[in-house]
Amino acid sequence: MIRSTYLVTMRDYLGYVSAWGFWLGLLFTPVIIGIFILAPTFAQNAQPTRYFAVIEKGDTFTNALREEMDNSIGVMARAMLDPLAIAEDRDSKKLSAFDDARSSGATVDEAFVQAGGNPAMLPRQDFVEVEAPVENSSELAPYLIGETLVETEEGPQPLFAAFVVNETSGEIEYWSENLQARTLITFAREAERELQLDRALAAVNVDRSVLNEARAARRDVKQQRVRIGEGEDAETEVTQTDRAPFVVSIMMAFSLWFLIFSVINYLLMGTIEERSNKIFDSLLTSVKLPHLLAGKLLAVLLLSLTLMAFWSFGSGLLTWFVRDSIPADVAQGIGSLLAAAAKPALFVPAIISFVLGYLMYGSLFLALGSLCDTIQEAQTLMTPLFVTLMAPLAMLAFAIQDAESALIEIMAWVPVFTPFLLILRMPTEPPLWEVLAQLGLMAATTLLILHLATRVYRAGAVHGAGVNDVWAFFGKLVPGKKSAA
Amino acid sequence: MGEDLPLKMTGVSKWFGSFQAVRGLDFDVPKGSIVGFLGPNGAGKSTSLRMALGVLSPDRGDVSLLGAPPNLESLKRVGFLPEERGLYKKMSPRQIITYFARLKGMSSRDAKARADELLEMMGLSEFGRSRVTKLSKGMAQKVQILSALAHRPDFLILDEPFSGLDPVNQQALEDLIIEEHKRGATIVFSTHVMEHAERLCEKIVMMARGRKVFDGTLDEAFAALGRAVHIGVAEGFDLGAALSPSGFEAAQEGDHWRVSLKPAQSSQDALRATLDSGAPITSFTPQEARLRDVFVSLVSEAEAQDLTDTLAADAAEGREAA
Repeated sequence: MIRSTYLVTMRDYLGYVSAWGFWLGLLFTPVIIGIFILAPTFAQNAQPTRYFAVIEKGDTFTNALREEMDNSIGVMARAMLDPLAIAEDRDSKKLSAFDDARSSGATVDEAFVQAGGNPAMLPRQDFVEVEAPVENSSELAPYLIGETLVETEEGPQPLFAAFVVNETSGEIEYWSENLQARTLITFAREAERELQLDRALAAVNVDRSVLNEARAARRDVKQQRVRIGEGEDAETEVTQTDRAPFVVSIMMAFSLWFLIFSVINYLLMGTIEERSNKIFDSLLTSVKLPHLLAGKLLAVLLLSLTLMAFWSFGSGLLTWFVRDSIPADVAQGIGSLLAAAAKPALFVPAIISFVLGYLMYGSLFLALGSLCDTIQEAQTLMTPLFVTLMAPLAMLAFAIQDAESALIEIMAWVPVFTPFLLILRMPTEPPLWEVLAQLGLMAATTLLILHLATRVYRAGAVHGAGVNDVWAFFGKLVPGKKSAA
Repeated sequence: MGEDLPLKMTGVSKWFGSFQAVRGLDFDVPKGSIVGFLGPNGAGKSTSLRMALGVLSPDRGDVSLLGAPPNLESLKRVGFLPEERGLYKKMSPRQIITYFARLKGMSSRDAKARADELLEMMGLSEFGRSRVTKLSKGMAQKVQILSALAHRPDFLILDEPFSGLDPVNQQALEDLIIEEHKRGATIVFSTHVMEHAERLCEKIVMMARGRKVFDGTLDEAFAALGRAVHIGVAEGFDLGAALSPSGFEAAQEGDHWRVSLKPAQSSQDALRATLDSGAPITSFTPQEARLRDVFVSLVSEAEAQDLTDTLAADAAEGREAA
């Protein structure tokens, strides 16, 4: 068995890796993922500066709007200074330094640098206020449609938007030809809300600073956890290390899903090619069917391991090259994640889940491929499988919120979801019997699916069964319906 | 039995749903022989050969391949060319031949050397490393045949090996089959082109409608059809009556008489009896039996029998229903 399986594995594997598509996927997948991650930043930086004006008799609204926009930059600056602390809603030295500098009257830019931020990474406001070129809304049209430009530091530019504060009616009008951009109008609404709050406080003779002090004095809610067997003096506050297994489990479940989703297509396409090339009879007189299937599954497993190894090695190499510019806390975060991933309690079930999940879905795709002459035929059969594969992805969202949710706990017992959801559950330390039972159920289901897939494959490869036979089979299952077959 | 009969099928039947593709097939292939497996399209030849190889399991009956039910060990000594041709399009002929030879147990080095040797023998050396997609249909078919015999099998089963080949390549394939036979291989090939079987086979098995209709040597096949001479005589002369006393049966067929020869009678005997009868002879043509005639005759009989059986079965069913 080993020799024939090895030969089938190597033929298929070398066939896959010698295809252009494989190398494109290998090289471009990280690039595409990188683009997706960096796209918002690129888009933000690529955004041209937009100019707006405020037509107001006084400057009450104008000042409130300026303050609101300044605060929004402050929020961005804080997020850039310490994203982990912001994500975990906790204090940090950098954030405290920034807040202290701002309280002392420093601008956002000054406070950012004082708190240790890289000046090159300073957040930039997309909207810049210019002096109002006219005094009422009826004269704004030529500026808003770009016929007449306004003076700016960058020279004459078109006016993107204008606010008109009507003192008589008290209404605030927003004028712009761009109906989709909502950022500026959101700033204005927030500024007006703050303005009205100030007025209400003033009406009851309460100074705004009282409210600010009250906000600043809010007590932090520290998340704690019980550490069994670590002595009374053990630190109980929840740390990055505590959260790392949850993050890692989500990353692992997503990686498993992504790998299965991206490589099982190879199995499908390879089998369709063999069926359409009418090569099954030659193969089946040279190698036993189970050995043939094992070889094919191993070839694609090897392919996925190649992808993982290449991407892991690439990431490691990249990290090594930029190691000096990685901030200490980020490095510490990466260390925590790697340490969590290396724990047997997480990686052993993850590896078993990966292998069984791959075999489960891989054998299904092999069986489907054996029934189809073309990819178009395969698509009609694949839809239910793809829907099944999308469900675990939706559950990742639940897991991010609450890995111990009842939904995930229940769905993890459904064998086709277990490979993904068991990994998500592992950081919650479920009872050992549950883990073993779910692994056992998943293994039994995998064996059953492998057995059925072998039979379907035989029907397709040996007897030439096709897509129509599948529909005829399901037709027979409908009570009272006579099959056409 | 065993190795003396590399293939023996006993009472083998196969159904696909309600359709019976093979009906109680019995036949064997003696060691070192070339056996032609003949029959019209849909006769059940390919199904029978696939059962012989264990690709399909018979619903009834037994198959013995090289002394045992078909298994991977016995299959390693068998080369098979399936009816439905196919190759990996992205591989080269050399890679394909090597791959199948290795699957049959050859070492990597031997398989590569053998692939080079076969490609050269068939004049395909210059395409050895090209992709299969660059080959003509005939070349691709030759590559598949080479894949089947690369591991020097003891037993070659070729399903319609000549179909799709031009006359030059058909001759090349005949030569290859003879070479393999000289090497000691037992060969079975299916075809519905009788000339190949006439030239190559020592034994033939004919199938029609899933049944075996003949199993024997070429001479036996010709004997089954019956020998005859065609004799032309002057119009109005009754040759049938004239030859009857001599023990010959003659029947008028158009402008001549067909005189059937019994096993002990020769065409010379028929000519002598005709001359002795005083018949005014205008022509004399001994009829040389061709496999094609045997084939047509036996297949027609089988089809007629099948039709009779079907009608009888329908009638019986109708009576039961009544």
